[in-house]
Parts: sequence; C-alpha cells; structure tokens
Amino acid sequence: MKGDRPRRGLRASVTLAFAAGALALSVLLALGTYFSARHFLVQQRERTATRQAFTDGALVRDSLQTSGAQVSDVLGSVSPPAGAVIYLRRHGEWYSSVLDSAGPDLTAQVQPLVAEGAVGVGWTDDTDPSAVVVGIPLPAVEAEYYEVSVAEELDRTLWTLSVALAVCAGLTTIAGVIVGRAASRRVLAPLEQVTHAAVRVSAGDLTTRLGATQDPDLAALVGSFNHMVDALRQRIEQDARFAADVSHELRTPVTTLTTSLSLLERSPDLSPRSAQAVRLMSDELSRFRRALEDLLALGRLDAGGYETEPCLTGALELVQQALRATGHPPGLVASRPEGEPDPTLWVDRVQMLRVFTNLFRNADLHGGGLTGVSIRDRGDVVDVQVEDRGSGVPTADRTRVFERFARAGGKKTGTGSGLGLSIVEQTVRNHGGDVWCADRPGGGAVFVVRLPSADGADR
Amino acid sequence: MTRLLMLEDDAGLRASLRMVLEDEGYQVVEAADAERALDVVAGPAGVDLMLVDLMLGGMDGFSFIQRARPQTEAPIVVVSARDGVADIVAALEAGADDYVTKPFLVDEVRARLKALLRRPTMVSTSRTEADAFVLDAQDGPLVFDRGAATLARGDDEIHLTNTEFRLLGVLADNAGRVLSRSSLLEHVWERGFFGDERIVDVHVRRLRKKLEAEPSSPTILITVRGLGYRLDVR
Repeated sequence: MKGDRPRRGLRASVTLAFAAGALALSVLLALGTYFSARHFLVQQRERTATRQAFTDGALVRDSLQTSGAQVSDVLGSVSPPAGAVIYLRRHGEWYSSVLDSAGPDLTAQVQPLVAEGAVGVGWTDDTDPSAVVVGIPLPAVEAEYYEVSVAEELDRTLWTLSVALAVCAGLTTIAGVIVGRAASRRVLAPLEQVTHAAVRVSAGDLTTRLGATQDPDLAALVGSFNHMVDALRQRIEQDARFAADVSHELRTPVTTLTTSLSLLERSPDLSPRSAQAVRLMSDELSRFRRALEDLLALGRLDAGGYETEPCLTGALELVQQALRATGHPPGLVASRPEGEPDPTLWVDRVQMLRVFTNLFRNADLHGGGLTGVSIRDRGDVVDVQVEDRGSGVPTADRTRVFERFARAGGKKTGTGSGLGLSIVEQTVRNHGGDVWCADRPGGGAVFVVRLPSADGADR
Repeated sequence: MTRLLMLEDDAGLRASLRMVLEDEGYQVVEAADAERALDVVAGPAGVDLMLVDLMLGGMDGFSFIQRARPQTEAPIVVVSARDGVADIVAALEAGADDYVTKPFLVDEVRARLKALLRRPTMVSTSRTEADAFVLDAQDGPLVFDRGAATLARGDDEIHLTNTEFRLLGVLADNAGRVLSRSSLLEHVWERGFFGDERIVDVHVRRLRKKLEAEPSSPTILITVRGLGYRLDVR
C-alpha cells in the first residue's frame, strides 16, 4: 500500500469504506432479489404458456381428427393469445398460424424431446423479446404441436425490476457515503479538538489545555496531551529562568568591572600600550554590558510576565524621542501633511522607545545608516517605516534577522548584541503588532513596525 | 563636602564605586547592611545623599528607605539589579528619588547624583515668576515659597523632599500649562531621553498626598490624559 499515490485522509478512508460496503451489500441484495424474482416469474410464465399450449394443442388435435380437415384451416381457426404463434409439424411439413417459416429454427431446442413423445418447454432468443417455446406431441394425428409465445410482459417486468433495484442500490450507496461522513466526523471530532489545541500550543500559547472527557477511549489522549503541554511549559520556563538567573548574577560583577575600568581609563599615568589594552577592554566590556542588558530584556519579554504600562502616546512624538536618544536629528521623520493629526498608539512608552532605538541602531550598524522614518496612519493600524541605505536584507534572511544572535548574511559585524531585532519583534508582538523587513525602493532595507492604532480602537 | 552613604552588600562594587565617587569629591560612608546604614543616617553627621541597593542580607532596601525617609530629606538613588516595574515603583513609593539598574555606567550615576543635589531654587525654566505661589486659597491657604523652599498650609509647614520641591517648582513655574512626563523628567531629574516616566508618576502621587485634600480626586495637580500633568492655581 505504500505506493507513490498520495495518502488518503482518515475521513476520506472511512467514508470510502462505508460507501464501498454499502455498494457491495446493496449490489448483492439487488442481484439476489433480481434473480429469485426472475426465476419465479420465468417459471410462472412457462406454466402459463404450457397450459395455453395444451388447450390450443387439444383443439388442433380434435380439429385434425375430423376427417378432411386441412391443417392450415385448422390452424387458422385456432386463436392463440396475443403474441403467440403456433407451429405444427406433420409428416415432415411445417405449418404456421402466421405466414412465416421460422418454426424449425425457433423450436429447434425442444424438437428432440417432442420427437421422443415428451412435452418440451424451452426458451428462444431468436425473437425479440425472447419467447417461451412449448412443444407437445400429438401422436393421434401424427403431428408435433408447437406454440411460441413472446414473453413481452415478463421482459418489461424484469426491466422495471432491475431499474428499481439499481436505483435502490445507488441510493443505498449514497446513504452509505453520508453515514460514513457523519460517522467519521463524529469519530474525528475529538481529534479535531486536539489539532486545534496543538496548533495553539505551537503558536506559543502554553496555557492551552484539553477539556476533561468522560469518554474512556479519549481520556488517555487528553491526559497525556495536557501532561505534555505542562512538561513543555515547565521546560520553557526553566530555560527562561535559567537565562534570567545567569544574567542576573552577572549584573553586579559587570557593574564593578565597568566602574573600575572607568577609573583606569581616566588614569593619566598609563603607558600607551596599557592605555590601548584598557581601551580594548572597555570596548568589549561595553559590548558585554549591552548584550547582558538585551538578554535581560529578552528574558523578561519571554517570561511574558513583563508588566506593560500602556498609555496613549503620539507616534510622531515617540519616534522623535527615539531619534534624539540615538543621536539623530528629529527631523529625520517625515513630517505629516498639514492638518493631519499625529496618530496615537496605546503602548508602553519605555518598551516602544527601545523598539525604535534598536531599529535605528540596527540601521546605523548594519544598514549603512538611517535615511528616514515615516509614519503611516492606516486606520486600524499605524505603520512606522524605518529605512536605511545599506545593501538590503536578502529575501532568504528576512525572517532570520529577527532570530536571536542571527546576523544578516551570517557575518559578524562588530558591536551589536545580536538580540536587538529579537527584542523588537517580541515587544511588538506583545503589543499585538507585527514587524517585518522589506526592500526599499531604490536600494536599502525598510523595517516596518505595524501597531494597532489607539484611534482605531476608539472608533 | 557632600556626605554620601553607600548601602551595598557587594564588597567589590562598594570598593570600585567608592573610588569613583571620591574622585568626584564626595565623602563616602560605606554600609554593608541596612542596620548600619540607619545608624549613619541617624548619626550626628547625617548624610546628604544616599545610594541604596535593594537586595541585601537582613533588612532589605525597601524597608531601609521607608525608615530613613522620615529622618532625612536627602535624595535617595536606588541602585539595583531588580528592574521589575513593581520593584521600581515600590522603591519610589517608599521614598526613593531616582533609580539606576545594574549594570550601569558610572557616568549615569554621576549625572543622577548631580541632578538630585542641585538646590530646588536653582531649577530654572522658561518663565520666572514671583517666588511665592498661593496654590490653594480655600481651606487655610496653601503657600509654596520657592525662595525659602517651604510649603505651608496656614501655619503648618509641609515637609517636602528635595525632589518634591524641584518637581513642584517646575510645575509652579508653568502653572496652568500641561507638562509632559518626558519634559518633567528632563527638568527635574535631568534624565536624558530614555528615562523611565514612572518616576514622574510616583512623585506626582507622593506630592498629591501632601498637597491635595482628596489625593484620589486631585484639584491642584491635574493629570491630563495622554499628555502629562498640570498645576492649577486656585
């Protein structure tokens, strides 16, 4: 079964099995019904034909015994039922109630029996529809009497019956499909819940649990699923706590180091070599310090317990403040058209300032310099676009740049902590927004931060 | 010489900070635990400035600030590895004037201390008005005298910390105008652009408790939603 064909879904398989079962069963029943009905009807028809033939045969015999009677006159005087034709063989000559000479062919099947002096009943397919052939020996007049009656009624009845049975079989199959679908849906319903829960878990919602069930068949699945999510959550929390604890423990030593080093840096009596060494240490230490701060920030965002204190904030004012904090002229943000109000956001200012300063620093460090910021009010959301004049971010790296310690093109370029954009992404997500990276028309990259508009929420 | 009390239980950080602060001209008194620090505060020489760590063996920094605050108006700067919002707000509510989280840069601490040590009367803003403001003429006039650095309701003087004085001063200079949290941070705490505006909120709350008849429904120090604060003189 492990062919190259695409695997069928569980639901499709169940439905198909039900349909196939219903089809097989209904075909079997229909065929049984058809054949037993046909057998009965054929027998009945043969009996009727035989009775009729005996009556007509006796009449012919009696007429022929009358001296001087001509066979053709006798046959003409007999009136067989509609659709029946009488053939008579006497002294090797064939006579018929109608003007045809098909007698020898039609009666060929029963001739041997009649020749032996027995009554023969058979069927011939040479007529349309097929006909019952009854042969009766008439020894008194040295003749063989045959009556061929077309079984038109039987044929029609059987046709009607077969159509009715075929329709029934079809309906039964369709019913099978419907029942199969319903049954598979019923059976798979709990699985669907599990699927939804798993999707939520994979999206990061570790509070997802499956509801308790009375069904003993499902209890084990529900139990182990919930247990798995619990274990996963504990594991993630442990990891996050470990990172936070480690970073935390490093705070005081790093502070002592920077403080002591600042004394050394200002010391006038250092040899040029020592001064250079101190400078190196100082540069690396400040990088270490930034990485530590970013790790701590990320740890808090990860823990999810980072309290946000959102307040109404003008997007323009926020961006300008972040520009000043990173040493850029506040005029770098495109001014809004006259009369158009500054869109307002409902955000934690401290966290959102960090988002923008991180993006501006990123543009300066990796994007060849920040070239401009623009704010677009799109109704329900506000887009802030941060543009640089670098070489842009390759399409393949556009989601990777937001990963921890990922750097564009895989190269390590200097002084970033490698966490800045991760903090941006996590913070924006926590605010119900989104951030992505695209090409800037004319070269460079543009990072777009999309945040829910406070105006939009009020409307 | 400015007497600076440093309450910090890490000996290494104490030693390195001491060197830096002594270079700045402070007279540094070290304390490794809160009990010793309280003795220094209550001592005859007193203190002019305090650097306080929150996580200590024995009595913690929060309790220390609560106990030291009634005894002195000297500015308290919290230096802590704890940077949860709840911790920061709790320290400020207890009476701290500002905070710095570890790992910090020495320049940052230096700037914080300098800003807090400035005389309340030296805070200058765009407008210069009369020294004495009548903030509330109604029940026993509430008078803020910037020259004398006093606040009094009727004959009762109300104690304000240095920082509260500076905050009230800036608000009074701009009475009737809305001041944003960031501009208050800049003027009162001389923080850069990245300051934590919760400092402003907590100090406004503290100030209201002293100014307002009903601190929960203020009539003098008004919150302007989304913009900042305004002092209304009645």
